[in-house]
Amino acid sequence: MAGQSDPHLSLFSAEEVEFMAEDEMVEIVPNMRMDPLNLLCGDYGPFFPQMVTQVPVWLAIALKKRGKCTIRPPEWMSVESLTRILESERESQDSFQVLPFHYVEISRLLIDHARDDIPDIYMVRSLVEDIRDVRFHKIETSLESFEDARSSAVRIKNLSAMEVNIVRPFVGRALQAFYKHGSPDLVPNPDKVPNRWQPAADPVQKRPLRKR
Amino acid sequence: MANYYDLDDIIAEEEIVSVVFQKEVNGVGIDPSSETDCVKPGSKVELPFWLANELHLRQVGTMKVPACFNQKTRLELGADATCVDLRSRSPYFYEFGCKIAPLVGDRDLGSFLLSAFKNRYQEVLAKGHSAAFSAASKCSTLLTREETTMYEAAQSSMKAFKKWRMGGPRFQRASILGRKRKPAD
Repeated sequence: MAGQSDPHLSLFSAEEVEFMAEDEMVEIVPNMRMDPLNLLCGDYGPFFPQMVTQVPVWLAIALKKRGKCTIRPPEWMSVESLTRILESERESQDSFQVLPFHYVEISRLLIDHARDDIPDIYMVRSLVEDIRDVRFHKIETSLESFEDARSSAVRIKNLSAMEVNIVRPFVGRALQAFYKHGSPDLVPNPDKVPNRWQPAADPVQKRPLRKR
Repeated sequence: MANYYDLDDIIAEEEIVSVVFQKEVNGVGIDPSSETDCVKPGSKVELPFWLANELHLRQVGTMKVPACFNQKTRLELGADATCVDLRSRSPYFYEFGCKIAPLVGDRDLGSFLLSAFKNRYQEVLAKGHSAAFSAASKCSTLLTREETTMYEAAQSSMKAFKKWRMGGPRFQRASILGRKRKPAD
């Protein structure tokens, strides 16, 4: 699956990542009575006033815009939880904390559309920004180290969709370049005097794949 | 092999290599210093890589290591890889190096290219995602074509993300902007 905004590159734009994030579920408290919605992507509702129900973010925002519900911000979007995550992000230089895969997009969507439902909204917003900055800095440092290993590989866990999407074009090109320059064909065998162009390198020379 | 229609690949093969002819060649005007249309064995001619490669395949001439991979460049890259202006030496430093490495019989060239790329990669990584856009033009003049594409990929994705985060139409309109201005009297 590739993004639609640029036909030449198999990349997603930030808006497309946000679009995918809108399928995540969120809790709402409706203030109206409505029959269940039977949609292709699932059945939501029925909706009763003051009865908490689960809907996707896009539906929650649509209802919120019409003043039909209040959105309950998810657990991780509270100030305490975000402060805790930020502290542990700063403490551990190597590992990433577990956050929802779409935390950047969901927090932005909720902050934009449901600002009166989020307590301490400015605090929440700046905490999310700080967490994102700390994490992105860690991504950069871990990418720096990936050329140390002989295999040109790096292992980063718990990245979120937006973070991966930002580094994807760069990392893709860098890996291609490392693969090209690291290929053993470039260092000819000393036994054979390379007077003639050799169509293919010795299969023995090729780097063996790592066993799983 | 690279894509046949890849423009960068075609331009990379335009780089000049000096070729020493092993055989006598008649009826070609590729040696500007000779008076007749004939190239003597042992004469040295500067030719683009695509032609030199074909001559090499037919064992008519042998290539020399081009000037951009000489000892001086290697020492400079060894000292501080990030400051070396590789673009002025050859905008297609790596591609050209990869093409020529198996042909010139220089066994260190491949590993030299890899280490040069490794050292400069960190600089591209550090600048690409974080540098202010005004400072971008200064360091990108030192980069080769391959590094520039990486750098620009990083910059454009970061720029797209920042644009999304700022969000154009979703900005709240300040209430004061909606009011009509009082007519000055």
